[in-house]
Amino acid sequence: MADVAQPVGILQQMWLIAGLRWRMLHNNLRRKQNRLDLLGLIIVGLLAGAFVTVLCLALFEGARNFVTSGRPAWLSLFFWGIFLWWQLFPIIVAGFGVSFDFRGLLRFPLSFGAFYMLGLAYGLGDFTGLAAFCWTISIIAGAAAANLALLPAMLLVAVLFVLFNIALERLLGSWMERLLARRRSRELFFAGFILVMVSLQLLGPLLNRYGNSAEPWLARALPYTAYFPASLAGKSVGAASAGNYGEFALAAAGIACYAVFFGALLWLRFTAQYRGEELSETLAPEKAGRNKARRESDADALGLLSPQVAAVIRKEIRYLLRNGFAALLLLLPPILVFALITQATLFRFSGAKGGFSSELFFPGLVAYIILILMAPAYNSFAYESAGVQTYFTAPLQFRNVFLGKNFVQVALVATELTLCIAAFCYRVGMPSAPIFAATLAAIVFTLIGQLSLANWSSLSFPRKLVFGQVHGQRQSGMAVLVAFGAQILFFGISSLVLGLGRWTGDRWLPTKAFVLLAAAAVAGYVASLDALTSYAEKNKEKLIEALCR
Amino acid sequence: MTDLAIVTEKLTRRFGALTAVDNVDLRVTAGQFFGFLGPNGAGKSTTIKMLTGLLAPTSGRMQLLGLDFSSHTMEVKRQIGVVPEGMGLFERLTGAEYLRFVGRMYGLDHPTTLRRTEELLEFMQLADRPKSMIADYSHGMQKKLALAAAVIHGPRILFLDEPFEGVDALAAGALKALLGRMTARGVTIFLTSHVLEIVERLCSHVGIIHQGRLVAQGSIDELRAGIAGEQGSKTTLEQIFLSIVGQSGAERAQIEELSWLT
Repeated sequence: MADVAQPVGILQQMWLIAGLRWRMLHNNLRRKQNRLDLLGLIIVGLLAGAFVTVLCLALFEGARNFVTSGRPAWLSLFFWGIFLWWQLFPIIVAGFGVSFDFRGLLRFPLSFGAFYMLGLAYGLGDFTGLAAFCWTISIIAGAAAANLALLPAMLLVAVLFVLFNIALERLLGSWMERLLARRRSRELFFAGFILVMVSLQLLGPLLNRYGNSAEPWLARALPYTAYFPASLAGKSVGAASAGNYGEFALAAAGIACYAVFFGALLWLRFTAQYRGEELSETLAPEKAGRNKARRESDADALGLLSPQVAAVIRKEIRYLLRNGFAALLLLLPPILVFALITQATLFRFSGAKGGFSSELFFPGLVAYIILILMAPAYNSFAYESAGVQTYFTAPLQFRNVFLGKNFVQVALVATELTLCIAAFCYRVGMPSAPIFAATLAAIVFTLIGQLSLANWSSLSFPRKLVFGQVHGQRQSGMAVLVAFGAQILFFGISSLVLGLGRWTGDRWLPTKAFVLLAAAAVAGYVASLDALTSYAEKNKEKLIEALCR
Repeated sequence: MTDLAIVTEKLTRRFGALTAVDNVDLRVTAGQFFGFLGPNGAGKSTTIKMLTGLLAPTSGRMQLLGLDFSSHTMEVKRQIGVVPEGMGLFERLTGAEYLRFVGRMYGLDHPTTLRRTEELLEFMQLADRPKSMIADYSHGMQKKLALAAAVIHGPRILFLDEPFEGVDALAAGALKALLGRMTARGVTIFLTSHVLEIVERLCSHVGIIHQGRLVAQGSIDELRAGIAGEQGSKTTLEQIFLSIVGQSGAERAQIEELSWLT
């Protein structure tokens, strides 16, 4: 028998794990790359913090106003907002949020109680939970500022509401993790998710068309929401405010029931995890009929290119098609553009007063597509993993790798833009010739201009992403910042040039300016390839280390 | 000088205050099967990474096939094959796609790449799962594929970092036979392994690195001869290795102190 002196208590285990997290953070910061990454995260965090703070102030003021004006039950609206945020936001950012896999701690003698408590604690440890918690506190503070006697009731309701939300969020997260552990179900999930997101874009036109007929149905459904925790929270505060303590207790007990119910379900999920539930992908057996590989033609379809560039292009296309999430994201821009055009055509186009100007809408649409599609280029080695070593052991200049990758990127953006421009011209009509020409030249300028920066960013701030994995992945903070900065720069310049054309009244001025800028961007790109080749050689250790880890 | 495939002079690599490889002077003759041994963290992988262009040396020179690595990088890379630590595979390609990719990367023409891909997949017994992605291969299959990729362009020097780790006995036998045939045809093989029996069976020459320093180099017989005492020709490579690298008295004392485990 192991001579362990005494069992370790829950609090001590949690303290140990907090210490472990701190050591991990501290040790990570020994590397310059990680320090830069943290810097990027801090800047992004500050922006997120500003967002949370503004909403905190708004909720405080709103809660104070509702209570002072005798409408405390209206706080339900705020609780509904927090509930939706808490439950939906983690799903929306599932592909981008980082998480610490606390199940890895199971190799230690962790008691189930400690495991469960840790699972709950992690529910408050991420951005979503912290933001929701801050907003809940703001509502309490706002209500208490209006009527201090409400404070005990508000505190009780808030504690129950927070517990309910954490339990539900952890439960959903845990089920999602189980569902998404398999590649096929993950892709199906994302297909569904993207369809839902796209459908939301069509909500506006649908409401415009069918809104009136849906009203009675909505009116009938609305009272049933009173039995949900967010409504119960508002109702209990309203009851406490009116001195109706029976109703208050009933509503609070309702929220407690929800919290206990979801807490119990979470208990069952965590029990399965604690027993060592296997979440890895299982390999489907190959079907007999599909066992023959398609024989590659002896003729090389990309024979005009250098063999190395052609090889990179083929690899990039295969990787793209096999990354269900990335491939689905490609469908998003044309669908969103279609939705935007559908929404926009409800308003009057052509420069009429009160309507949209297609002269502005067209370049805006193009900018939007470039914005979406160029983002992955700033960490273009993310999925290479250990394969990146091939680029350094093979006899090739690194410029060929960039040429191959950039070729695919440009082809992709060009195809998507062509589809979207065709959809625009079909639904709205061609913009004027000067705007059309200026936009085309601006595409070359922003696309090629961004590629040089994106290549540099990919070498400087590489971050490994696991193919198809949803949870626990995060882009490099610095790469996100560079992408953000570059896009602001290029779209800022483009807006300035377009504005200059309007201000001077010279309709062809933007085209001339963009042609010059595009030529400069192409020259800069060509010149950057050799510099980036040397830079890749200097930076190879960092790149290999980041991607092979 | 021209029959030397690998020559290093005072090859050094530092990581901050740590000197991982310290003034290593290697001499490997063309056609030799050279085993590079050392305890964990001795500097084996760092050396192999420098010799294959994955890591830049802090100082020192490397010559491969008579060419200076730093000034003839492309020419040298064209003539070497590598199975790096972690294998360096693109896991979301199939085996055939990966081999075609590597073949083209080394500048082979399209028909040659296709032909060699098929032959290598057959030889490595990987042809029966043409649609499986490398991510779905077992560790041993991945090792075989990595080796196939390392030889697709017919290299004159082959660098193998732990090539037999995780490979089953059947496949290991086929690989050893292949490597043996390659050395017979004049290919130089430079391999690292923790399994001393394999090195003893395959390699004609060995180098032993310890704490970044090359502490022994030569044929196994030469190293045996260097061991004093009556053991003579019966000395195994493991005994040679332990006698050169073996634990110091201080380390033994530490082990004895773990009395609570025994």
